[in-house]
Amino acid sequence: MSENFIKIQHVNFKYKGSDKGLLDDLSLTINKGETMLLTGASGSGKTTIIRLINGLIPHYYQGELEGSVDVAGYDIVKTELYELAGVVGTVFQNPRSQFFSVDTDGEIVFGPENIGMDAGEIRERKQDIVGEMHIEKLMGRSLFELSGGEKQSIACASVAALLPEVILLDEPSSNLDQGAIGNLREVIRRWKEQGKTIIISEHRLWYLKDLVDRVIYMEAGRICHEWSGAEFASMDRDKVRSLQMRPLAVSDMLSSDFAGEDSDIQTQEISDGITLKDFYFSYNKKPYLIRKKRFRENDEGLSLCIPRLTLPKNTVIGVIGHNGTGKSTFLKCVCGLEKDCNGIIEAAGKEYKGKDRLKICYMVMQDVNHQLFTDSVEAEVLLSMEEEDKKRCYQILEGLGILEFKGKHPMALSGGQKQRVAIASAIAADAKLMLFDEPTSGLDFCHMEKVGGLLKSLAAENNTVLVATHDPELIELCCDYVLCIENGRVKYLRQVNGAGEERA
Amino acid sequence: MSAKLDPRTKLYMILIVSAVVMMSATTPLLWVVRIAMTLIPLILLVAEKRYASALRFTILYAIALVLTFCFLSEESTGILQSLLIGYCGIAVQFLPALITAWYVVRTTKIDEFMSAMQRMHVPDGIAISLAVVMRFFPTIKEEYASITDAMRMRGISFGGGRPSKMVEYRMIPLLFSCVNIGDELSAAAITRGLGGKVKRTSVEELRLRVSDWILILGFTAAASVFVIFKYVL
Repeated sequence: MSENFIKIQHVNFKYKGSDKGLLDDLSLTINKGETMLLTGASGSGKTTIIRLINGLIPHYYQGELEGSVDVAGYDIVKTELYELAGVVGTVFQNPRSQFFSVDTDGEIVFGPENIGMDAGEIRERKQDIVGEMHIEKLMGRSLFELSGGEKQSIACASVAALLPEVILLDEPSSNLDQGAIGNLREVIRRWKEQGKTIIISEHRLWYLKDLVDRVIYMEAGRICHEWSGAEFASMDRDKVRSLQMRPLAVSDMLSSDFAGEDSDIQTQEISDGITLKDFYFSYNKKPYLIRKKRFRENDEGLSLCIPRLTLPKNTVIGVIGHNGTGKSTFLKCVCGLEKDCNGIIEAAGKEYKGKDRLKICYMVMQDVNHQLFTDSVEAEVLLSMEEEDKKRCYQILEGLGILEFKGKHPMALSGGQKQRVAIASAIAADAKLMLFDEPTSGLDFCHMEKVGGLLKSLAAENNTVLVATHDPELIELCCDYVLCIENGRVKYLRQVNGAGEERA
Repeated sequence: MSAKLDPRTKLYMILIVSAVVMMSATTPLLWVVRIAMTLIPLILLVAEKRYASALRFTILYAIALVLTFCFLSEESTGILQSLLIGYCGIAVQFLPALITAWYVVRTTKIDEFMSAMQRMHVPDGIAISLAVVMRFFPTIKEEYASITDAMRMRGISFGGGRPSKMVEYRMIPLLFSCVNIGDELSAAAITRGLGGKVKRTSVEELRLRVSDWILILGFTAAASVFVIFKYVL
C-alpha cells in the first residue's frame, strides 16, 4: 500500500475548448508519506496535476482525459468528488476564494459537516485541530477581517479537519509574507510528521528546500527533471538560475530586511527627490454618518504616520514590511485614494494636495482585473490620456511589447499582459510616481525577471517607482532602495547594497 | 433572553415584511403597525451591536416619514416636491424590507442558514445556491470598493465624460471578478464534500426559543391586521 500510493499513468489532458494539451503522456507515482514539490514555469502543468489528484479534473474542469489516475485505491475518473473529500484535501492559492463560510468556526467545521459526521464528534475534532495549529486567537471572527496569512492558516485548518491522507497545496505562499510563510512551513512540517502524503506546487522554493523528499521540475506538460530532497537542497546557484527557478536562498542582508530583525539602520537623507509630507491615516476612527476629521501626528491608533519622507527620484524603491503593517495603506494614501488622508506630495518644486495627487500617481493593483475597463487594449490606453493621441498610444504599447494586442479585449490576455496594459495606461496618464502593489505574487521566476526589468526601465525613463512586495528575489532584481514600513511608520529607507555597482 | 434568533424566524420575518411592504398603509392603525414592524429589526440590529447601520437606517427612515407626513400631501406640486415624493415613497414603502434583509444577512451564519434550510426540507440545490448568494455579498462589496478606487485613479468615476459608460466601467470588471471567484469558490467547496449524497450534519443547534415565538406571533398578527383591515373590512 505504501508504494505507489498515488499513481498517474500515461495521462494526456486538454481543457474543453482548448486545442493545446496541458499534460503530455505524463506518468508519476508517489509513495505514502512522501513530501513532493512540483515546480516549473507557469503553464507547465503543475496545477493540472494537482487538479488530477483531487479529482477536479475531470469532474469539475472538463476536458479530454486519457490515461488513468489512481489515488489511495480510488480510480479518480470513476469516483465522485464527494467520496474523495475525506481522502484528499486541497489548499488553494487564493485565500479569498476558498472560503464557503463567512466566519472562522463555520469554515473549519464545513468539511466534516458535509460528509455527515456527528455534531459532537465534529466539535471535538475542531478543538483538536485548533489546538494543534495554535489558532485559538482566530476563532469566532469574520473571515473578511483576517490578514492573508491568517486566512491561509484557517484554510489549512479546514482542510486538516477532514483528516485527509493526501494534502495538496497549490502555490500556497503566493499572498503571504515572510512570517506567514514561516507558519505555513511549520504546518507542512507537522503534516509530514503525521505521515501525510503532501504535494506542493510552488514557485517560492527557499522555505521548502529542507522539507521535501522529492522535487519534480515540469516543462510543457512533461516531467523534465527529478531530484531527491538532498540533491535539490545542495543545488548550486547557476543551475537554479539556468532552469529559471526562483533562488533557493535569499541573500543574508535582504532576508534580515524581511524578517525585520535589526533596527539600527539609519534612514538615508536624500536631498533631491519627491517629498511626502503629513501623511496620517487611521482605519479605526470611522464616524457613523459624515466623516470629517483630520488626522494628526499625535493621534492614537494611526494606521499610517509619516510626517516627512523624501523618496529618491527616478529609482525603484521596494516597500517591505509584514502583512497588515501598512504597505497597502501607504500606497493608497500616497496616490490619494484614501480621502481622509491629507498628505502633500512635493515634486519638482510643486505641491500636490488632495485630488491633485491622483494626477501624478498611478497605482497598478495586485488584482489588475479591477482596473481594466474598456473593450480593447487601445481604448484602455486612450482612456487615460487627457487628449486622445493614437500615435503616442502606439508608442507606449510598442515600448511595452504589447502593440500586437491593441485590438484585443484586455480580459482575454494573460496575467502578465494585463499588467502591462495597466502600466501602459499609467504611462499614458503621465504619472511620475508609479505604485505597484505586489506585482509578482504567484509569478514564476521568468515572469518575475520581466517585471523587474520593466520596473527598472520605468525608472530609467524618469519615473519614480514604489513597489510593495514580499519577494526578496524581486528586490534583488530591480530595487535601488528599500523602504521598510512597520506599524504604519517608516522604519528605514536605505540603498540596496550593490545596486549602484550592478548598474554601472 | 438572548438576542440570537433562529434563522427560520428570520426568514419568516423577511417573508412577512416583504408581503406587508407590498400593501400600502392607508389608516393610522396600519401606519402604526408598519412602523412597529420596522422598529423591530432596528432594535435587533442594536442588540447585535450593529450601531452604525441601525443609526443610518433609523435616520433615513425617520427623515422619509417626517417629510411624508409634514411636508407632502396629494396637492404637492413643483420639482422639489416631486423628487421628494419619489424618494419618500420608495424609502417609506420599501425600507422596512431592506432593513430586515440587512439584519438577516448580517447576523446569520452560513452554517446556521444551511441547517435551517435542511430542517425545512428545502432541496439542497436551492439551499446551496442561496447560501452562496449570502456568502457573496461581502465579496461583492470588497470587489466593488477596489473597482471604485481604480476608477477614481483613472478619473473616470463618472464615465470619463461619457455618463453612459459609468455603469459599464463598473459592472464589467465586477462581473469578471465575481465569475472568477465564484468558480474557484465552488471548486474549493466541492473538494470538501459539498453536494454529496450523505445527509449534511451541523454543529449549530437550532431551537425555537421564547423570543422566536414572540416574534413569529407578532409578525403573524401584524400581517393579519393588514390583510383584515385592507381586504376584509
